[in-house]
Amino acid sequence: MQRRTFLASLAATLTPRLTWAEVGAPAFLAAGKQGEAFFLHGLSATGESRFQLALPGRGHAAAAHPTLAEAVAFARRPGTFALVIDCATGEIRHHLTPPEGMQFNGHGAYSLDGSLLMTSEVVAETSEGRIGLWDTARYSRLTDWPSHGIGPHEIKRLADGRLAVANGGIRTDPVDRAKLNIPDMRPNLTLLAEDGTLLDQVDLPDFPQNSIRHLALQGDTIAFAMQWEGDPAEAVPQLGLWTPGSAPVLCFPPEAEAYVMQGYAGSIAATDRRILITSPKGGAAMIFDAAGDPVATCRRTDLCGAASHAGGFVLTDGAGAIWSADDAGLSPLATGATQWDNHLVALT
Amino acid sequence: MRGPVLALLVATPAAADTAAVVTDHARPGYAAFDDAAARLGAVESCDPQDLRPAFQAAYDAWMAVEHLHLGPAEEDGRAMAILFWPDAKGAGAKAQAALLKEDPAALSLEGLAQQSVAARGLAGLERLLYPQAELPGDGCALIQVTIDDLARQAEVLAAGWGPFGEELLTAGQPGNARFLKPEEATQALFTQLVTGLEFVADRRIGRPLGSFDKPRPDLAEGHASGRAQANITLSLQALRGLAVALSPDSAKTLATFDHAIRLAQGLDDPNLDSIGTPQGWLKLEILQQAVRATRDTAVAELGPALGVELGFNSQDGD
Repeated sequence: MQRRTFLASLAATLTPRLTWAEVGAPAFLAAGKQGEAFFLHGLSATGESRFQLALPGRGHAAAAHPTLAEAVAFARRPGTFALVIDCATGEIRHHLTPPEGMQFNGHGAYSLDGSLLMTSEVVAETSEGRIGLWDTARYSRLTDWPSHGIGPHEIKRLADGRLAVANGGIRTDPVDRAKLNIPDMRPNLTLLAEDGTLLDQVDLPDFPQNSIRHLALQGDTIAFAMQWEGDPAEAVPQLGLWTPGSAPVLCFPPEAEAYVMQGYAGSIAATDRRILITSPKGGAAMIFDAAGDPVATCRRTDLCGAASHAGGFVLTDGAGAIWSADDAGLSPLATGATQWDNHLVALT
Repeated sequence: MRGPVLALLVATPAAADTAAVVTDHARPGYAAFDDAAARLGAVESCDPQDLRPAFQAAYDAWMAVEHLHLGPAEEDGRAMAILFWPDAKGAGAKAQAALLKEDPAALSLEGLAQQSVAARGLAGLERLLYPQAELPGDGCALIQVTIDDLARQAEVLAAGWGPFGEELLTAGQPGNARFLKPEEATQALFTQLVTGLEFVADRRIGRPLGSFDKPRPDLAEGHASGRAQANITLSLQALRGLAVALSPDSAKTLATFDHAIRLAQGLDDPNLDSIGTPQGWLKLEILQQAVRATRDTAVAELGPALGVELGFNSQDGD
């Protein structure tokens, strides 16, 4: 390590690290674009910006440290960098770079105590999935684990420390993102122990072209959102529920709304009683009950970000609006000039 | 009367583009479809020969508004109940076969509304009026109830565009929770233009086009009723009408539209059967390219002219 780099990282380590409460207790993190500039925002429960920090490019998702006001912002996949941002000062504390030949894939998760960061990654040449492990004291790379699938996207830590991995199943060209294996793709949902050991795995034999990409937790159940790569004329589910130890349950929309989501779910969130998925392509959000039965459909152009808060849902869209959503529909919370990006991340 | 008139004038007008789409394109289009469906409902016969002209006219009228996937057409699956296509698994034919085997007296408008959307509407009627094989029962009652259902949907749609049109026209005004800014209405309509062109290229042309080695004219929309080419031409003309309403001075876009429409009209192949030959297949593929060029030109020209872009997230893919 060069002396200057060493001093910089030492200084970063010595700066006091504040908690979320000390930075205005934002409820969510969201990336967005204003004019030609990109930012990461901390948002209140009602959609007011509590802070905004400049990002060097378009963001995708963020992962928030469980206690410290610190977040990792991931570039759009496939990404070769992620930024650890001090959400109190706006300073970039660390630039994370995956090992040679690897790429970040847009999402990450912290361990329960915040001492470890896990990142979804692929081997660039093959799209073989890895879970990168970082020590958050100095954000040094520790090791990586196999994700047990191709093209992992979102990863989610369960309350007991186990890690759920959405292996999307799509092998992509390392440079132009072209999808290379659509006819024989095989996504899966994988559960890893805290030490990375494979605990369980399920796939979708009836819908192998339904890429499992995003995750939300409802108690012991992992709700997963999918993106269909097959014939758009087929009516397919965008939501599934998996309680490890049992078979996954696929949740179809009502027939009259079979194509509302256009086969595409962009984000997913869950409360104790409901699960919500968004489709920017379909301009809609669908709400399901805990059994996976459809309850309500809300329409709004370019909806994508979704998170739960205090028993309800908050959604963001590409036109700059923030909404609350429940069985009765959407209610506007705030509107502004920031075009909100794919994901809204709850700080819980 | 002076007060109210002044108040109307003072209210923020919707963007000219939105107003033109609502008043010159969408509302007249849905009214014409409602009329055509009512005329079909007024035919006192269930002989296919008697019904076909009015069926074709109603189908023509639907093609003028089919591309508007917003508002009342998207509620309760109404657009699907009017025209369910493509029916990849043949769900409509299966549901109809079951209905035809039942007691015709048990068929009712309410009962049909509970059936699969695939069994209803223009696609359902097409199978009854242009059967490809003998029907498994007397089709008369099912034809009648399918027509009545279609006419009712058309009426609901035309009526629904009153209040929905107002929502578009009052975009950005207080109390409008659907369109928070005037440009959101414009963007929604611009999106219909772009996705409509994509649908023509990818599905209406793309499904029968299949691949050079395996063309599938039988998969064309409206194949049984000889409408495959007409549907392509009519939907391009309808989308051109939407483009004109949105931005009448879009010379490049309108030129690419005109080129594509000329190619579509020049196919001279009502059911696209000639795509079984290499030359015929290439002609349809050239049309597909022309439609894609029209889409790209519209995005490049109309988007900036209207000050809107396609969805930030919907275009991103993740």
